[in-house]
Amino acid sequence: MVESAERRRGVGVELRGLRKTYNGQGVLRGVDLVVEPGELLAIVGQSGTGKSVLLRQIIGLEQADAGQITVGGIALDRYRATPHDEKSFRVAMVFQNAALLGSLTVDENIGLRLREHGRQSTAEITAIIHRVLEQVELAGTEAKLPSELSGGMRKRVAIARALAIDPELILYDEPTADLDPLLTEQIGHLIQRIRDARGTTQIVVTHNLPLAGAIADRIAVLAEGRIAECLTPAELPHARHPLTRAFLRASALQA
Amino acid sequence: MAVEALPRSPRANPFARIGATLLDVLQVLGEAASLFMASVRSISAAPADRHRFVVQMVRVGTDTLWIGALLSLFVGMVLVVQAAEQVRDVTQEILGPIVGLAMTKELGPVLMAFLLAGRAGSAMAAELGSMTVYDEINALRTMDIDPVRFLVVPRFLAATIALPILILYADFIGVWGGAAVVALDPAITIPVNTYFDRMLEWVHFSDFVVGMSKGAIFGMIASIVPCAFGLRTRGGTEGIATSTTAAVVWSFILILVFDFLIVRVTFALG
Repeated sequence: MVESAERRRGVGVELRGLRKTYNGQGVLRGVDLVVEPGELLAIVGQSGTGKSVLLRQIIGLEQADAGQITVGGIALDRYRATPHDEKSFRVAMVFQNAALLGSLTVDENIGLRLREHGRQSTAEITAIIHRVLEQVELAGTEAKLPSELSGGMRKRVAIARALAIDPELILYDEPTADLDPLLTEQIGHLIQRIRDARGTTQIVVTHNLPLAGAIADRIAVLAEGRIAECLTPAELPHARHPLTRAFLRASALQA
Repeated sequence: MAVEALPRSPRANPFARIGATLLDVLQVLGEAASLFMASVRSISAAPADRHRFVVQMVRVGTDTLWIGALLSLFVGMVLVVQAAEQVRDVTQEILGPIVGLAMTKELGPVLMAFLLAGRAGSAMAAELGSMTVYDEINALRTMDIDPVRFLVVPRFLAATIALPILILYADFIGVWGGAAVVALDPAITIPVNTYFDRMLEWVHFSDFVVGMSKGAIFGMIASIVPCAFGLRTRGGTEGIATSTTAAVVWSFILILVFDFLIVRVTFALG
């Protein structure tokens, strides 16, 4: 269970006219999207349509060709240029393959950012690591290396690493890719609990529409480089865009 | 039925291929130079990262120590055998200076640099390449941790400091390998004492300084080039293999280019 730490609102995210081209091919062709503080937004779309690219733009790993990104009311470039200690909010990302550093233990991976930048004492950092590992139900794995963990456990450690800095915004890139349905459900519940307990804004990129419908406040469908439609889970059965309908049909077949 | 001619790929044109290769080479050199500058700028943070530096020093040492000893031993031995044959009709008393000068000024630095680039350097390229491909480098960036400070500087410092020490070690073993042949090979008529006496007459402290200075420069090359290739890796497992191979080849080439430049400049300065 996620501890009911003091509930804080997350930060909002606003994308305006975001464009990105690779080798002359437009991947993002004018993405407009507003994510409210504390909202859990799922972005769905076919593979290779730029969902991950969108996340990388939001966290500043890639530069957009055109358009504006505002996080927490601050232009992304300004936020990135702000020294770590002076940032008024924190952003974390959970990568598709967890991206844990293979040579570091679970404890070292989770505590890495705190030890590199934090002002906390060793005892405080140990307590934080212990707490976030309990939240992802992996207490006792501190000394293990990522290679000793299953795919699902690695994903949860990656989420614990994100939680350790108590972020106002968490971005997830395909958090349930390659996981079986039970682990997918487990990760989905964990993401929901983070929203309920902390009020963190979360953006989840996935091609798993049932998961998106089960956990998200809204679902944005990315098609042909734009947000084709944005729906609540209740509106999902009445979706108009052909891609959303195709996803619904495919999900029904899988079920 | 008429067959429509396919448009010719620019890469099929030999001039375009040469141009593309030249651009690749310049890009690699530019990236390595830029990484070198970034590493130098980040050195001030090194005291806080001493644990990672020590880990890299141990890795470089364990990767090269035993095989370096073996290599130097046999190079010293073969130098004596080859040189003895060449100077048979003159005097074998110059065997000591030949082995001493060759080991301290040229063979020790270059061989150990090749060994470091081939063993530790390839490991650096593969490790950083894997971290790049599997988003670990990006994960560091999202945590506001500079990958150059966190990953490259400890490797850069470890190789730059370890290589001169490894060269001294190689010089010592190579010289004793030569001495063993002098003592045991019936074709060599000078006593071991003469081998060492003549060597000490010819090999000066400055020769060790030249060899170790070369070692520091080669150490920089043998770490920065693999790290640069590791960080520019793209395309999964195949990309890691390609980067690793290219890192070793480019390290070898640049070590030899810088060796020539250092020797030329040293001789020009008298």
